[in-house]
Amino acid sequence: MKRSHLIAIAVVAVAIGILISASSDVTTYANFAQASEKGDRVKLVGQLVQDKPVEYNPEKDPNYLAFYLRDDAGDVRRVVLRAGKPQDFERSEQIVLTGQMNGETFEAADMLLKCPSKYKDEEVYVRSEKG
Amino acid sequence: MIYDNEHLLPGQLGHFCVVLSFVAALLATVAYFLATRHRDTAAFEGWRNLGRFSFLLHGFATLSVIGALFFILVNKYYEYQYAWANVSDDLPFEYTFSAFWKEQQGSFLLWSFWHIVLGMVLMLRAGKWEAPVLAVVALAEVFISSMILGLYFGDFRLGAGAFDLLRQTMDAPIFSQQDYLTQIKGNGLNPLLQNYWMTIHPPTLFLGFASTIVPFGYAIAGLWTREHKDWLKPALPWALFSGAILGLGILMGGAWAYEALSFGGYWAWDPVENTSLVPWIILVAGIHTNLVARNTGYSIRSTYAFYLLSFILILYSTYLTRSGILGDTSAHAFTEMGLGIQLVLFIGVFSVLGAWMWFVRRKDVPDINAEESSASREFWMFIGALVLLFSAVLITGATSLPVWNKIVQAFQPDYVGAALKDPMAHHNRYQLWIAVFIGLLTGVAQWMRYGERNPEVWKKKLVRHFAIAAIAAAALTALNALWLNISAWQYYTMLFAAMFGLAANVDYIVSFIKGNLKQAGSALSHIGFGILALGILGTGLNKEWISTNSFAMEGLIEGMGDESLNKNILLLKQAPMPMKGFEATYLQDSIERQTRTFSVRFKKQDGKGGYTGEEFVLHPNVMYDRQFSKVVAANPSTQHYLTHDIFTHVSSLPKAELDPEFARQQEDSLQFDPYEAVVGDTIFTKKHYLVVEGYTKQPKHPEYKPEKGDLAFGLKLRAYNLDDTTGYPAEPMLYLRPRKGGFTLPANVGQLQMRVRLNESSMGQWLGMEEELKYTDLQLKESQSVDFNGYRISLEKINRTVDHPSYAPEPGDIAVAADLKITAPDGRTGAAAPVYLIRDSRPFSLKDEAPALGLHFRFESIDPQTATMTIAAAQASGEQREIPVEIAENAPRSDYIVLEAIVFPGINLVWLGSLLMLFGLGLSMWRRLR
Repeated sequence: MKRSHLIAIAVVAVAIGILISASSDVTTYANFAQASEKGDRVKLVGQLVQDKPVEYNPEKDPNYLAFYLRDDAGDVRRVVLRAGKPQDFERSEQIVLTGQMNGETFEAADMLLKCPSKYKDEEVYVRSEKG
Repeated sequence: MIYDNEHLLPGQLGHFCVVLSFVAALLATVAYFLATRHRDTAAFEGWRNLGRFSFLLHGFATLSVIGALFFILVNKYYEYQYAWANVSDDLPFEYTFSAFWKEQQGSFLLWSFWHIVLGMVLMLRAGKWEAPVLAVVALAEVFISSMILGLYFGDFRLGAGAFDLLRQTMDAPIFSQQDYLTQIKGNGLNPLLQNYWMTIHPPTLFLGFASTIVPFGYAIAGLWTREHKDWLKPALPWALFSGAILGLGILMGGAWAYEALSFGGYWAWDPVENTSLVPWIILVAGIHTNLVARNTGYSIRSTYAFYLLSFILILYSTYLTRSGILGDTSAHAFTEMGLGIQLVLFIGVFSVLGAWMWFVRRKDVPDINAEESSASREFWMFIGALVLLFSAVLITGATSLPVWNKIVQAFQPDYVGAALKDPMAHHNRYQLWIAVFIGLLTGVAQWMRYGERNPEVWKKKLVRHFAIAAIAAAALTALNALWLNISAWQYYTMLFAAMFGLAANVDYIVSFIKGNLKQAGSALSHIGFGILALGILGTGLNKEWISTNSFAMEGLIEGMGDESLNKNILLLKQAPMPMKGFEATYLQDSIERQTRTFSVRFKKQDGKGGYTGEEFVLHPNVMYDRQFSKVVAANPSTQHYLTHDIFTHVSSLPKAELDPEFARQQEDSLQFDPYEAVVGDTIFTKKHYLVVEGYTKQPKHPEYKPEKGDLAFGLKLRAYNLDDTTGYPAEPMLYLRPRKGGFTLPANVGQLQMRVRLNESSMGQWLGMEEELKYTDLQLKESQSVDFNGYRISLEKINRTVDHPSYAPEPGDIAVAADLKITAPDGRTGAAAPVYLIRDSRPFSLKDEAPALGLHFRFESIDPQTATMTIAAAQASGEQREIPVEIAENAPRSDYIVLEAIVFPGINLVWLGSLLMLFGLGLSMWRRLR
């Protein structure tokens, strides 16, 4: 067998291996109910519930933000993000979260805000990170 | 309707030139196409000359479009939507460039500009390659100039217009007025983009984007004319140029993100970053196979493929960032402008053209039947190019999930879509192995020879140098492991591979080319890669949040108690806060234009409760919008060291500082309790006590700027906790400004969460005190004294040097002060110096008082004959009067910032390594041009 064929086979084998191992890095979009069902990390899109309290008390803990989010199925759940509250959080039109359900609370690992602005649709990305 | 003061000419000219530029590009494409078809006939020259003429016409027209748009922006012609949306009267001139290429139209024009510049260089230098390469460039220009055409075909608009009038794009009642222009103001440039990075990053990046079309054009030209070997030589320096500039543009983006944005890093695997990196990776792979092809004749087909792919990926990147498809996966993308279809067509045409040409001609491309020797340089370089391709495929695949979702949803509308859980972790995990292979290959291949047929002869030398590199790499790995927090064997592998590449290439420069730097381009680039990999490991593994204080936060954390999650720290004004390795103090803040800058002092701690003596002050800032109602950008501030950086930014502010409406509501909802006290008294509130120390007519308050004619009054208090002896000053004040009215300014005692104010209704009482005084005239000579209500008043001296708070000297003034010394019946003493002033032949008297004694004095007149002064004295009963004070407790604190501080070790290795890599590319290009 020619060496170039061996290389081609090796490349294909590695590619398949990566595809299989990377499939666990991928998640799907879900709403709260589906996230509960899956128990796994998902992407979730929703809006801030304006008439429920946004809990951010930096004097107590500047890394704890809790709020209520309405998902696209209309469900409202409490969301906790372990990061500072971004400027203009209350003005966001849409919030995209990555995270998983823990009981009745959604624990977010990161958050992307879409804010209306006179300049353009601004986006703010917040990430809670371990270590 | 005819509107007043509209400047329609630049727009009409500009629009005409847009159309002209499009038509000329089309003509240039056709002419150069036919010139290439007839390259061996007599018709060639005619077609080529027509191609040159129309390409230059296209260039002239495009430059005119740029000029017209720039003219509109500089002159702030707000009748144009582009000017209205992107500039304002107060925008400094240097940001006009940023405003110009901030929008899609401007950035397409920038791209076009570079294509024209490169096209003109090709016209001068490309010789027989001019016609086919410029046919490709001109074709790309047809698409790019169509993006700003703004022509309607029925309801479909071809391209976004650049010269649209505001009144055409917006339907508002204001446009029914003839003089609407007097009433509109520009929106201004997003403060986030008002920095020099936005001025230098886009032109560099777009030159990088634009230059990838040249290797693409040469590849098409080679396939087209079947001169599969000839094109390899002229294409190489262009590819090297493109690699250096595109790399520099990407690097600048990273530096911008790191220096001026609050991302807290230089690379985030954001789709926008990824899709500009991928064409660069493919281009670098192409450079390597191009070298192989030039030297051995192998890999011509792959060189074609890589150069074709690189430009197609640039187009794909353009599509992803400009079509709006990235949606919620990217933190920075252009807004959608309805150009999606045109962009798809642009990629489609060039992809089909490239792929079709490659497949049609692939059998025609000369290839060598024999296999490369596995001890030859070309074999390992080809493997390296495959590794780069692999890297590009992995990054593109993961970044393209939104495109994939959209395609599936077109067939299956209920498909929910997939996304990466954690893009950074995902990419890092796989690209780490790419770096391992690259590191090893750059070390191995550098020492091999092209077309090696006698590996045995060379073997000894190879083994010796590989051994040197491996030993040096092991030593460097061990050395670096001392400062890197390496937690997994994979990182050791990457570190070793990077050090191996670095050591082998240093050895190569020293022992093989004997320090001849002209030939060291590739080795320098490879060393750069090794340094960059080390820097990435340093910033990635050793990046540390120092803005934590696990002790101060203890017991306060709700839910999960993992303190390593905490990245932010609360800094109260003037209160030193210990955090990891430092003591941080938020000293003060100041506002200039729309920027509020905070000063935060860092003192390094020695770990034993003391300081090392090292300290520095950082100035992170936030930018407000023009109404001061919201923060639009938080700009970091970084302390640079050779070995590491300390990066800080304000991640949060009290809500009252962001939202004036909220601040008002908060103020209104405070519960103020009334108290009364005389000077010297103590007021006891629920949790605190306050001592009334005195009052002043020249009060100081952070929000008070004295003006002439003000009547002001401030009360001096000192507030204490009931169980503490530390006193905090509080000086609430009132002032009355002519024609403006009366104002009360409360004093905040942040530490006690206390707010103290003087009621506005007592204004008259304070400021009207003067009228209730009954003055008695006293006759005094210098050094005499006289008795007044039991007080002993002595005139010490008539002072010609006048120092009185309300006296501002003017030429021609005659002013004298009477220095008075007062002794009270109980032995207390005081002083006062009323002033007698003659200005413009009119006498004035400036009063003074001895506040502690409650005595007021006026200097009424001087009798020059007898040298007797008339001093009017009065005793106020004010001191004994109850002063109404209002005090609120539990006021929310608003004198703090929430700060994020990160240490980046080895960040300078990242910059050094990247620059060295690009310098190597540039050096190689320069050598090949000579």
